[in-house]
Amino acid sequence: MSMLACVILLLLLIFGTLFAAILDTAIPAWIAGQSGANPLTTPFRRCAQFLAVQRLTTERPDMLNWLLAPAAYLILAGIGLGVVPLSEGLVFIDLQTGLVLWGACEALTVVVVFLHGWSANAPFPLIGAYRYVAIGLPAMLVSMFVVIGVALPAQSLSVSAAVEAQRGLWNIVKQPLGLPLFMLLGLSLTLRGPFDYADPFDLAAGTSAEDSGPLRASWRFARLAMLVSFSTMAATLFLGGHHGPGLPGPLWLALKAAGVMTILVALGHVIARTTPSRMLTLLWVLFLPLSFLDLIIAGVESLP
Amino acid sequence: MIHTDLLFYALSTIAIVSGWRVFRTDSMVRASFLLMSSFIAVGLIMLLLAAPYIGIATVFMMAVEMMVMALFMVMFMMNPAGLNPMQMVHQHRLSIIAGIVAFAALALAILFSDLPQDPVAPGKPGVADLGFELLGNSMLIFETAGVTLLATMVGTVVLSSRSGRFGGADEGSRPPGLEPGGEPAGRKPEEKAGGDMHQCHGPGRQHSEKQQDGDEQ
Repeated sequence: MSMLACVILLLLLIFGTLFAAILDTAIPAWIAGQSGANPLTTPFRRCAQFLAVQRLTTERPDMLNWLLAPAAYLILAGIGLGVVPLSEGLVFIDLQTGLVLWGACEALTVVVVFLHGWSANAPFPLIGAYRYVAIGLPAMLVSMFVVIGVALPAQSLSVSAAVEAQRGLWNIVKQPLGLPLFMLLGLSLTLRGPFDYADPFDLAAGTSAEDSGPLRASWRFARLAMLVSFSTMAATLFLGGHHGPGLPGPLWLALKAAGVMTILVALGHVIARTTPSRMLTLLWVLFLPLSFLDLIIAGVESLP
Repeated sequence: MIHTDLLFYALSTIAIVSGWRVFRTDSMVRASFLLMSSFIAVGLIMLLLAAPYIGIATVFMMAVEMMVMALFMVMFMMNPAGLNPMQMVHQHRLSIIAGIVAFAALALAILFSDLPQDPVAPGKPGVADLGFELLGNSMLIFETAGVTLLATMVGTVVLSSRSGRFGGADEGSRPPGLEPGGEPAGRKPEEKAGGDMHQCHGPGRQHSEKQQDGDEQ
């Protein structure tokens, strides 16, 4: 049982990451109305380019943390994905407190991105790291209230119970504010679009400015893997997870996750970016109260 | 059973070794995250003890807490960004005595107390019971502690921020030297307050006060 879940998870992670890489090329081209690069081959070509580039290093970096950061990011993506139930009773990490474990993965992601920027011992990565912590922590706080909102009607902290509570009606209908607010976390967790304060163009790639060669390729891969993990979690918490007619559970889950991922990649390219201070105000003054409202809706819904 | 034991020994080794390294490293950021790894290992030991909520919540809380702590330490320190090497231990004699006494007391407590043999029944809803305990009987204690901690945090920021109510927090501060006893790093405290009224030291202070009086007249 556990072996089967492991195999399905690995397939989901590998093909999901590939799909994410294809979307990352195809969607910007589609939005810009250009059809230059072939989205099917571009990810492989880019990866080969990264691997062929010479490794450069900075003066006195913290080599241990620098090398471990992409690996830790990938592991967190894997653990987050492992909590998700693939079909009835098929969970890799079957924990009573799966939602808390997902929260721990979110929190540790902030730590990992910070260490990735900090360890390079160079100005741009360091600025990216500090900016990301300032934005990433409140974004995580917003998502915590949204996740509590999902746990309330299920009366449990286990992810399977959250899926079971959506058997009749999906959470996206019952808690309309939930998924949009959770998507903000997705943007922040995968360093994307308006929440990309860690690796943005205006900081010359921020925390990964000094990465080169295989290190850069592995960081990019880990970011895409986290996108897969987040999309699957969003589909599980708000779109009924593996529930669906006809097709087997894991397939439904993959289809829903692919939908969430497409929207997320598009959002990353469509929403305008803003300054960190303005985003910080928005998060504390607008999105956090909205997440309280979401929690109230969930509380009213779960009243007997 | 045997691999639970092995896991326990591995995790406790990680907890102890990283806890020891906290005091041997030369950077606040490294010290914070070493402490975090130590606590994560302890959280996973809790998971082995069939306390899934407390175990995972420890991991979660420590990740956020150490991140915030590293950030605040760096912000409130005169050593910019926490990048300069620094000594993490001080008051050696006192701390050695305190450490030995604490270790001896805890070891004696473990050796001489009756440790309960109370395995958790497999079907027991431990997480739900904990929730009812926290938000039922112990809610007042829990909430009082929460509000007190929040007030402490706000108070700390108010007292220590640069534009605090007791004047500029960096007034008269002297950044640490780049080498032991060497020249201070970054901005140097000025001997004479040349026109800037906020930097008042020694004779410069009278000078600037005179200037202020003159302005008022």
